[in-house]
Order: sequence, then C-alpha cells, then structure tokens
Amino acid sequence: MKSLSAAIVAAVLLALLFDTFAPAHSQQVKRPNIVIILGDDLGFADMSSFGGEIKTPNLDELAKEGVRFTQFYTHASCSPTRSMLLTGVDTHLNGLGNMDEWAAPNQWDVDGYEGHLRRNLTTLPQLLRDAGYHTYMAGKWHMGKAPDLIPAARGFERDFSLLDGAGSYWDMWNFTAISPKSTFTEDGRYLIRLPKDYYATKTYTDKIISDIEADRKDGKPFFVYLSEQAPHDPYHLPRDWRNRHVGEYDKGWDVVRNERLQRQIKMGITAPGTDLAERMWFVPDASLLAPATRAIMGKKMELYAGMVENMDYHVGRLMDYLKTIGEYDNTIFIVFGDNGAEGADLFKMIAGTPGTRDFLFASMVWSETNPNAWGDPHSYVGYGPAWAQVSMTPFSQYKGNLAEGGIRNALIVSGPIDRQAAGSINHQAVLHVADIMPTLLEVAGAKRPQTYQGQEQPPLIGESWVKMLEGKEASPRTDKDYLAWEIFGNCAVRQGDWKLVWQYKPYGTGEWQLFNLAEDLGERHDLAAERPEKVKELVALWDDYVKANHVILPSRVLWEGMEQKLPQRYPVEPGFPPLIYKSQFVPPKDMLANPKP
Amino acid sequence: MKRVSLLQLFFAALLGSGALAPPMVLAQVPARFYWKTLSGANAVPLIFNSISGNTNPFDPAHIPMGDANFDGTLAIAGYARTFTMFDRSAMAAVLVPMGRLSGDVNVAGRTASQSAKGFGDPMAEFDLNIIGPPAQKTLADALRYEPGFSVDLLVDLAVPIGEYDSEKTLNIGQNRVYGRLGMPVVWQLGPWVPGRRTTLEFLPAVWLFGDNTDYVGKTLKTDPLFQLDAHLTHDFGEHFWGALDASWYSGGKSTINGVPGKKLNNLGVGFTLGYQVNDNLNLTFGYKSTVNDSAPDDLRMDGFMISLVYGWHPIIEGAKRLEGE
Repeated sequence: MKSLSAAIVAAVLLALLFDTFAPAHSQQVKRPNIVIILGDDLGFADMSSFGGEIKTPNLDELAKEGVRFTQFYTHASCSPTRSMLLTGVDTHLNGLGNMDEWAAPNQWDVDGYEGHLRRNLTTLPQLLRDAGYHTYMAGKWHMGKAPDLIPAARGFERDFSLLDGAGSYWDMWNFTAISPKSTFTEDGRYLIRLPKDYYATKTYTDKIISDIEADRKDGKPFFVYLSEQAPHDPYHLPRDWRNRHVGEYDKGWDVVRNERLQRQIKMGITAPGTDLAERMWFVPDASLLAPATRAIMGKKMELYAGMVENMDYHVGRLMDYLKTIGEYDNTIFIVFGDNGAEGADLFKMIAGTPGTRDFLFASMVWSETNPNAWGDPHSYVGYGPAWAQVSMTPFSQYKGNLAEGGIRNALIVSGPIDRQAAGSINHQAVLHVADIMPTLLEVAGAKRPQTYQGQEQPPLIGESWVKMLEGKEASPRTDKDYLAWEIFGNCAVRQGDWKLVWQYKPYGTGEWQLFNLAEDLGERHDLAAERPEKVKELVALWDDYVKANHVILPSRVLWEGMEQKLPQRYPVEPGFPPLIYKSQFVPPKDMLANPKP
Repeated sequence: MKRVSLLQLFFAALLGSGALAPPMVLAQVPARFYWKTLSGANAVPLIFNSISGNTNPFDPAHIPMGDANFDGTLAIAGYARTFTMFDRSAMAAVLVPMGRLSGDVNVAGRTASQSAKGFGDPMAEFDLNIIGPPAQKTLADALRYEPGFSVDLLVDLAVPIGEYDSEKTLNIGQNRVYGRLGMPVVWQLGPWVPGRRTTLEFLPAVWLFGDNTDYVGKTLKTDPLFQLDAHLTHDFGEHFWGALDASWYSGGKSTINGVPGKKLNNLGVGFTLGYQVNDNLNLTFGYKSTVNDSAPDDLRMDGFMISLVYGWHPIIEGAKRLEGE
C-alpha cells in the first residue's frame, strides 16, 4: 500500500513536471506560425470589434483572443504601406516614395521613387525563409511586375498574386485601355488565365490553405501574407452576399457614423466625449436627400459591408483549417487595413470622359451600371467620401490624405506572441506598420544583414513590439520618438500627442496645421496660431525626416485643380442654413378654420 | 449617380412592369403583365389585334363554331393604376374592347354571313400580390424590387353592356356576366438586371360564365373554363425582350337549350416581342395560334397583336420637368 501511494505521488509529480515543461519545450522546438491579414482599404471602424455594424465574427474572435490597438499607423496609400510592411524601411528609401501611378516628373529615375520595391533591399519573407520558415502569399502585391520584382523573387516560396493595385474580382479585366488586363502570378509564373470558379477572396484563401497543406508534414513554421483585395473597389461580390443589409444604410452616413461612435465609446475603442470629425464639406447632409437617393447611396454601403463580411468569412475558413490541423494555437495573427478607407471616385478618374480612349474601354468592359447588377462582373461600384468617413469613424478624411482618417487603422494582434489580457484594448502604444518587420524578425529569431547585394541596408524605421506585447513596456516609442509621412506632396509628423499636418488645398489649408490628438481626435481645432513654438518644434522634426529619408516633394500632384473642381470650403454647421431645415408650421388645432364665404 | 440616370432607372422599372403591358389579348394576358411597379403609376394601353378562327375572339368562352370562319379586328383601350393594399402591390384596371367581326356562320345547317361591330363588354380587373416582395411604395422600394417568386390573386369581372344583337350568333358583347379568378405567378430566373432578366410565368385561372338567356332565342350556358397560360420571357437588350407563349384551355363545355357542345381541350402557342420606345412608351408585337386544331370541332384561332402602352408616374414626370429646366 505504501509503495502504491509512493508510485501515485511519483506519477502525479511526473505529470506535473511534464505539464510544466512541455509547452516551453514545444515552443523551443517549433517557432510560432505567422499570418498577416491585410484588408485593402479596410476602415478603422468597419470590424464589429472596432464599432462597426458590419458582421465580422471571425476577425472579432481574433480580437477577443488577442489585443486591439487604437493608435496604429500605416501610410495613406497602399503600395507605400505594403513596402514598409515587407522591408521596414521608409517609403522614400524603399522605392515607393510615391505611388507608381502618381510619380511626379521630378521623382522619375530618382533612387527611392522607382514605384516598386527596390531590388537591393532585404524583405521580411526573404529573411523568414532564410530563418527556416515557409513563406506563402496570396492576394494583392502592387510593388512591381518585372520578374525580379514579383513575390517569388522577393522571398515567397509560393504565391498567388494580383500584381496590380486593383482589378476585377471575377476575371482578369483591369481599368484602362492601355492596360486592360490584370497581371497575376502563381509560384513565380505569370498566369495566362485564372483558375475555374475564380473569385479573388475565395481563391486567395484556397491557395493559402493548399500551400500550408502541401508542406505541413515537414514541421516547419510558416509565414502567410494574406493580402486581401477586399474591400477595395470595385465592389464585386457573390449574389448571396449582396443583400444582407438591405435598407440598413438608408438612414444616411451621419446617423451610421454617430452609431459607430457610440458603439466605440461603449466598447472602449474611443474615449467618452470624443467629437466626430467634421463631415467633409462637399458631402451633403443625408437627411436632405430623397429616399431613393439615400437608397442608391445606401446600397453602395450595403455592398461594401458585404465585401467585408465575405472577407471575414474566408478568413474564418483559414482559421478553421488551422484549428483542424492543430496549428491555430501556435499562430500569430496580425490584422489591419493598409490605409484609410477609399473616398475618391477611382472609376471616374480612370474612365475619363466621352470621346476618350478610356471611356470607350469603360463602355465595353465596365458599363454594368444598373444597381441590380452591382457586384457582377463588369460593374464598378465604390462608396464615395460619405461612407468612407463612416468607415474611418471618428477620424477626419480618408485614404490618400494625412488626416487621421487617411493613416490610422485598426490593428488586431493575437496568438502566442501576445501576453496581454485577452480582448484588451491598447490605447497607449503608438505603432507603425514598419514595426512589423523588426517584431517578426525577433519572434522568428531571424537577423537582418547590414549589407545585401553589396549595398548597405537602409535603417529599419520601426520598433519591435515584442516587449510591449509581453507587457514589459507600454509602447515601443517614447514621447521623444516621432513618426512622419509624405505622400502626394502632403506632409505630417507626430510626436507624443501632437500632430503637425500640411496638406494641399482644399483638403488642407496649404499651411501647417497643428492638432492635439489627445483632445481632438477629429482634428477639428487647428492650434497652429496658438502654439507657434510647438509648430516650430515639429517642423524641425519634419526637416530632420526629410533629410534622413531623402524626401523629394513632387512637382506634380493629384490635387491639381481640386480646389476649382470642388465646392468652396466652408465649415459644416449642423442645421445651417435654417431655410432648408425648417419644418412645416402646424397651427393649434383649435384655431383651424375654413375660409369665410 | 446623376439625377438623370436615377430617373432613367425609375422609368425602366416603370415601363418594364406589367401594369403597363398590354392586357387581354385572345383572352390571354401577355407575358410580363403581372410584373409589379411603383404604386401610383398609371397606364393607358391601346391594343390592336387581327384575328381569324372559328370562335368569337370577343368571347372568352371560346366556343368553337364548327367550320365557321371569322375575321376580326379587335382593339382594347383601357386604364390601369397601381396602388398599395395591405402593404402589398395591387393593380386595378378597366378595359374596353371594341372592333369589327365578320364571317360565315353555320346556323341550322345553313351557312350565313354575319358581322358585328361596336363596343364590347367592359371588364374590371383587380390584382393583389399575396406572395413576394412588399409593395413598391417609394422610389427606393422600386429600385430594390426583384420579384423572386411572386404569386397574385386575380379577379376579373365583365359587365354585359356591350353591343349585342339577339338575332345573331356573332356579337361583340356577350349578353351575360362573366369573369375570372386566377393566380398569376412570376418566377425570376437569374439576375434582375435590365438586359439580362429571365422569367417563367404562369397564370392558372378559371373563367366563370353566367347564362345568356337570349342567344338567338335560346339559352346559352357554359361550364367553367380552366385556362393555363405560360410564358418564358427573356431580355435581349435593356429595352428589347421576347417571350415564348403557350395557353391551354380545358373544360368550358357550352350547352344551348340543353344540347351540350364539346369540352375544350386545346393548346395555343405563340411569341411576343417587346420594345421600349422611350421613357413613356412601350411597343409589343405578337403572334399566336392554336395547334392540333384540324378536327371540325377543334378550336381554331390565330392572330397578330400590336400594342402601344403609354405609362407615367406623377413623381417621375415632375422630376423630368425639373431636369428639363
């Protein structure tokens, strides 16, 4: 009996010891998998976990298990963000000093402004692959099309990639007569046709799952870059995803934006008392629109919501697959959008006017304009500035601009890297997309060489999040650190709670504007005149940034003529002018009478 | 979207709708007649038919008259209006047939030429959707409308005040009350996008007839007549569509002074082409003929049809006036 008791005690102790050490042992043996889910033009406030009414249960599950960050910055446009994600280097040094499509004459042939990822830079997938990771990519690339610039040449073992910035979700049609077809690659080969039953979001997920499945027996960790095309316009969507919000947005953007703000406050995303940013001055008050107009505008948002929900569904498929093969718990997920939501009418810019080459092309390829055809091949719908502001609640402006609505995005991090309370919301840490490279290199135990192809590597501008995620520091940045942006000639710098912005008219004032983001998230109150010393201080940082990163302000910009095209900018005051807000006078009933004979 | 484009969408929805399509032709409403539109829409249809056969085209009982042979020109003018009832789409219409009819009739073994002309029996029609999307009370509803699978309840009632001569077997008016109970079905196949719409449509209906107690001095009774119309319709373009049509008639045995005739069991087939001329005007052309009709007692009938339908809605007309300023 005694010996039996001793044996039981020994067994329990052994079990406890095994239980204690087993996870640590397995972590040492296998490093965590990494999955980056990048939404294209996904707005800060779109996911339910950031206040959206759009149903995103799978992304919300990641938020619930991980941590949400509310001060995460990307760039204001897609390629620059993607280039910093994959190199950790500032855009003006990594080749995306400007969007390829908008490079200015004074930037042509200048190092750092090639319009594609520079060849002499090491990339995140390349270094992870060298460190023993499988590296897979599916989705939008938009950082170069030449054979030595495509994903396979930049470190991805397998890929299924749309090399363009956008295109049809159903087929290979692109937007202009001179470049009518999108370019796709699969595992380093240029595709002459797309797979059967191709639908971008679905196919990208299928490819990632099959890539993981093909290699999973070898036990190596994997890095997945799921670079979603959704919800970028055109809003192409399977029919059964189009009608899940019928009529919900007829109430108009102001109402929906306010509802999102209230939810954000309730769930702790935004502080109580936060003011919404001003509605863009050229966006009408939806309450003044006829019901049919609101229905048409609302239908665009219905489609957008469907795009996000469909993307969430396919993310859920990937999550389910990882659970099935037992890799989910050992996978770090990083979810965010690449810039602010898209408020510009891209199609209008591309399709041109009657009599032009591109208008003829659009007439042939992109003319399914009936609302019941929206979502079908050959239709082109984007939701415009009013809904883009909703997606960026509570911020000002949207993609392409350097107001918070252009550059601040929702971020979810979950998985074994995260030691913070599940479901927590982090408001302290000021993060940047370029931080992801050093963070993941540290997680993977990978090293970035000082030189590559005989050239000194530019410095990483990001800071690793590992200590912050382990709870050892509040933010990877101190109040002395600063972030800076330049795109399309617009400039911004943030240090601590202060942000200095210079934007072309009419979105900006053509002058430096100063905002205190701790008190004015909507950037309503320009404090430049009140705080000239702070302006001077931040301008000095800006000058430092320009010098360090070889910033060349463009000689031509997309804002040209915008001030003349858009209505004059006056502040938006709710209820003004009273003329159009005065309701019918209703006299007292007891004073009603018929006319005398 | 520019306002003018929005208006064009509304017009497309309005004119593409059944309320503005031509009504009763050869005792059969054409394809797309029971498509729904915005409440408050109005339509004035004008339908011209050139018909031959051995039955009186003005008489929905379609009593075959042996080897008789008639030629007729039939026109129908009317007015239709859509409205909302119990949150469902409803339509009320008044249709007045008129025209000329002539031919040889075999009466008591003797062949005689007869002719008739004038106004026929006006018919009131009421249609209420019972299964399908709710009524299109606003332009927003109209923009979102897709029929899916919709079923209506249909009631027709003809008032016997049309031209009638009791000395003749051939008349424009029928001298008896008659009507119809039906359940129109519209089944959307595929997308509801102008230029790509396809529908399968059915109208099972029962015609009910009162007695004509002065039918050349005799009493004419007719049993209920079951009629099933079927249409497969498809858009060939945003403004151009076509349909394959079929009608099956069964029952409707007529008795004259107790002497029974033959029950109908006939099939007619045809086609329709439709074209939207402009924002307010729709044009259709069709041909239809009975088949397997070689036996003497078989129903024989064929006819060409051209219809013009003028439709309008006050809101849309007002918006057009403002656009024109």
